[in-house]
Amino acid sequence: MAFLSFTQNAFFLSLRRFSLGGLMLAMLGLPTFLAACSPDEKTAEQKSTPDKTVEEQTPLGPEGRPVVLITGSNRGIGLALTKEYANQGWHVIATCRHPEKADILQSLSAKNPHVVIEKLDVTDLSAIDALAAKYKDMPIDVLLSNAGISGGRDVQTLGSFKYDAIDKVMAVNVIGPLKLAEAFVDNVAASKQKKMVTITSTQGSITKTFGISYFYRSSKTAVNIVMHNLAIDLKDRGIIVSLISPGMVDTDFMKGLPLPLIPPAQSAAMIYKVVDGLTLDKSGVFLNHRGGEEPW
Amino acid sequence: MTRKEFPRRATRRFHRRAFIAAALALGALISSGGGRVAAQTTPAPTVLITGSNRGIGLEFARAYAAKGWHVIATCRHPDTADALKALAAQHPNVTIEALDVTDLAAIDALAAKYKDTPIDVLLNNAGILGGLDTQKFGQLDYPMFYKVMAVNYTGPLKMAEAFLDNVSASNQKKIITVTSSQGSIKMARGHGGYFYKASKAAVNMAMRTMSKEVAKRGVIIGLIDPGAVDTDLMKPIHLPFPLTPPAKAVSELIPVIDSFTLKNTGDVIQHNGKPLPW
Repeated sequence: MAFLSFTQNAFFLSLRRFSLGGLMLAMLGLPTFLAACSPDEKTAEQKSTPDKTVEEQTPLGPEGRPVVLITGSNRGIGLALTKEYANQGWHVIATCRHPEKADILQSLSAKNPHVVIEKLDVTDLSAIDALAAKYKDMPIDVLLSNAGISGGRDVQTLGSFKYDAIDKVMAVNVIGPLKLAEAFVDNVAASKQKKMVTITSTQGSITKTFGISYFYRSSKTAVNIVMHNLAIDLKDRGIIVSLISPGMVDTDFMKGLPLPLIPPAQSAAMIYKVVDGLTLDKSGVFLNHRGGEEPW
Repeated sequence: MTRKEFPRRATRRFHRRAFIAAALALGALISSGGGRVAAQTTPAPTVLITGSNRGIGLEFARAYAAKGWHVIATCRHPDTADALKALAAQHPNVTIEALDVTDLAAIDALAAKYKDTPIDVLLNNAGILGGLDTQKFGQLDYPMFYKVMAVNYTGPLKMAEAFLDNVSASNQKKIITVTSSQGSIKMARGHGGYFYKASKAAVNMAMRTMSKEVAKRGVIIGLIDPGAVDTDLMKPIHLPFPLTPPAKAVSELIPVIDSFTLKNTGDVIQHNGKPLPW
């Protein structure tokens, strides 16, 4: 897939121009978090229930656990968040486009009946409606819109814009999260935590833009303004709408970048903490994985 | 000649007056001749305006025409653009071109037609609201999002890309896009309108991003917020205060356009000259 390494130049430039502080922080934090991360893998294995046969496994309801729905959960940050929430004892509705190919997610679900896989393409609005209908009576504490795409490499350069890439990136990065919010608003309102989280990006900060990645940036700016306004509109229902930038994470999205990217598990653990600490007064705020505030 | 040799007083008076008249005539001839030469060496600037058949676009066309600019006034349906046709009839420096900014091939064709025309101000004015009920949470009309984005975001981006060389070849080198306070996240007040707001925030981002890349060519990118203006776009929104007449808005916006330099390129400036936060 062409877009897998599209941000090589983007983020290298980003680092050079802006993120000296971020680079130092990442390098300082990296050894600590690398040490913290690998034990997590073992801990997850140790905590898992004994292997069951297919016949013995039945899909379980939350059984009193808080519920999180995560999109794009087959790899990258979504997969790491699925593991994190599962480790934290949540009931996880883990969606992705191709469950049949999501091997790691499948093995996770096989070992943990509280990880339920659902097939979902966030650009398929009627599929979102169908999923919402299926989960009609389930309160969802955290609706986590994580699925996102870059929009493609070599299509977002001034002078050679490929305009048909715009609708696609907007469909995934803006309309997906908005439609999910609209379809699951009652589920979230009926829950204890009432949180809607969208994984955004500092690439969507207009204050910080320096060039390139026009369509991707615009999609993240667009989801920022949509969710910020939605936060205002849903405040009366006590729903917290949050925008969180995950940091620069070592995923397929960022494949091959010669940068100190943080492991997905580290980003996921930090995002978990930020979400856990969210209160209504933080609704609509542009946060990063460290819980700090980003400029629009 | 001595005074004794000079002709009688009446003749002297006549010669004096003739001399003065000739001097004045020669002076007038010289100065007018100089003026004609000056006019020939300073060409009028050119502005290309989208959505120029009504509202703010029409008033921009009027104002720039009155300033003596060459106005390339585009709109989707010139045949029914009566006010614009009347303006063009009055001003030979106004040219009407048919253009739908969502038709990317048409933009390319127009740019090809004007290949050798320097454009001092490219004015991305065409914009749509996308309705109100379509943008209410709980009844969102998602196909409308793409229509709004096509006009308000992709249109200006395509125009800027297609006419970048024309702008770069001009004296003023400005690409101006009409945005909105609704595109400011910091100033957000909720109450739906997600698609329109998204389109304006997105175009703000795209234009600011562009401003960073084209500065080295001397091209200035400006975003202008016209305020709440009394146009057809605003009709569905029943605001509880009187809206600004378009002509008045434009009289405030043209100085704002003039004020853009490479120092404030990529900023959003309101009709009152104040910047608008992201």
